[in-house]
Amino acid sequence: MSVWVFYISTLVIYFGVDLLAGIALNLQFGYAGVVNFGFIVFQAAGAYMAAVVVLGPSGGVASFQQYIFGSRLPFPLDLVAAAVAGAVVSLVIGLFSLRRMRRDYQAAVLLIVSLIALQVVSADVPLFNGSNGLTGVTWPLGQIVGVTATGAPVIYAAWTLAIAAIVFAAVYWLSKSPWGRSLRAMRDHEDAASAMGLNITSLRLQVFVIGGAIAGLSGGLLVEYIGAWSPGAWGYAETFVIFTAIFVGGVGNYRGVIVGVLLVPVIFLELPRFLPAVGYPGLIDSLQWVTIGLAWMLCLLFRPRGILPEKRMEVTKPAGVPGPAVVPSEGGA
Amino acid sequence: MLSQLLASAADGIVLAAIIAVAAMGFTLQFGLTNVLNLSFGSVMTIGGFTAYLANVAGLSAWLGMLLGGVAGGLATIALGRGVLRLYARRRTQLFEMMMVTLGLSLVIDYGLQSISQNAIYGYTVLQASPVRLGPIVLTPIQLFIVLLAIVILVVVEAALKFTKLGKALRATAVEPSLARSCGIQTGRVVLITWTISGFLCGLAGVVYIISTQSVDYSTGELFLPLIIAAAILGGVGSLRGAVVAAVVMGIVTEVVAGFGGAAYSTVAGFAILVVVLLLRPGSVSGGAEDRQLVL
Repeated sequence: MSVWVFYISTLVIYFGVDLLAGIALNLQFGYAGVVNFGFIVFQAAGAYMAAVVVLGPSGGVASFQQYIFGSRLPFPLDLVAAAVAGAVVSLVIGLFSLRRMRRDYQAAVLLIVSLIALQVVSADVPLFNGSNGLTGVTWPLGQIVGVTATGAPVIYAAWTLAIAAIVFAAVYWLSKSPWGRSLRAMRDHEDAASAMGLNITSLRLQVFVIGGAIAGLSGGLLVEYIGAWSPGAWGYAETFVIFTAIFVGGVGNYRGVIVGVLLVPVIFLELPRFLPAVGYPGLIDSLQWVTIGLAWMLCLLFRPRGILPEKRMEVTKPAGVPGPAVVPSEGGA
Repeated sequence: MLSQLLASAADGIVLAAIIAVAAMGFTLQFGLTNVLNLSFGSVMTIGGFTAYLANVAGLSAWLGMLLGGVAGGLATIALGRGVLRLYARRRTQLFEMMMVTLGLSLVIDYGLQSISQNAIYGYTVLQASPVRLGPIVLTPIQLFIVLLAIVILVVVEAALKFTKLGKALRATAVEPSLARSCGIQTGRVVLITWTISGFLCGLAGVVYIISTQSVDYSTGELFLPLIIAAAILGGVGSLRGAVVAAVVMGIVTEVVAGFGGAAYSTVAGFAILVVVLLLRPGSVSGGAEDRQLVL
């Protein structure tokens, strides 16, 4: 296997994982208007959960690291556990943070949650081995077939893309359903949606938990490939990579999300890892984050709705009803 | 048990003083412009690094503190005038302004990370042998920080209440268009508020790194949640509220840390915010989203 196969497969895997994250965040932010600044926490929850149910009981082979929930679950259960972890964590966080309050406060509270979670996991070593993180995570499905994730990256890339495609189809179908339309109604005019009989708090919580489950799944997929997970992998800034991807591509537009995920996380953050090193180690990393921040600000200045904005939803007037056709206005404030 | 409690509470007051200095600056800015400025923590870091550089250059620590404040003020004006104005002219919504400040904080933080080579710099100045008051052990500089917070509270409150500028500021915060038609130069009021709040922010950065004895690119970012929580808890624009919230959060944080829950001490601080959100969401919602951008 040549280096190039490994390199391209790795990029494809990152694309699949980030696409899952992008779909989840787009459902929450683009469709429902929930500004989830703590998104990365749910991905991290899934990754940690997948790691500990793969690593085996604590104190066994991997006794140099300590963690809770140590067990060895067979194939589909590891990813199910990851998704459930993402969903449970988002349910707990959503219960207090999704109450009716100013949108900027809500965003700030979720950002705070993200920073706190990081501090707790770093400082509380028995939980997930503190700031050193967990390592030695394997790929349960690969063990059945007899390959390892890094040994057969092409297979892993195909597997990631397959899952991403299935989730994409499911979320696409969900967002076109009446449920998806009620999400957009809530985003565009909360009071009107509430007057129509929609339960705003419950809708928000539903979309938060579904997004959290997908985020957890993406974390599980990622950790089974890279084999390790630590607080360094989920700093608050990671959330904004996904946000920038959606902003660049187009808020509430699926083609936009794909374009954004291709452009931002893969091209910006992953490609330069393979460039020759310039300056002291870590300089390129810092400059990437500066670029992400600048891209984010320029997008807000010039194309607040992204390169491919959400299409206006045209509702034609039913026959025989007087008055003008109803054309809901596009986008939330 | 009791002595441990007292000692932790005293540490809590010191932490509260640091939070309070920053939160007063934050709430002043937030109350006037209505922008939830997430780049506030980054400006704190700028103040901290300025004081560090002043120390390296051989200046006295007190001068470093002043320079840190000045750097914070200048940085805030530059960001407010140079960047946020651009967006305000394009009629960017309040919510998007918050996103802009977040992008700004990424640029500043990681810009500082690349310049500082991602290292942690020690900053040990003004450390003297501690003073003992029964179980309470505090260093003189810690006492100074508490005193500083009290002085700032009194001076700024008095200025808001009794000076012409303070009246203009309060009028602008309540109803900018009316204030403008009464002849108040709201642009100037905003500029002065940016300056004061930026100065407090830079100063908070310096006292924070004096207390932690080190500075790196993420110094302010990790402190920002405490500031925002105190400002939201205390009620937007209320200096006294911010200080009371800071005291509660500081004491809870340090008491939990003192009784063995070091990993969860900050969580305990935030638990208060969460409890208030759960019990009295109305007190935090602050009258809906129809507030307007003032820049």
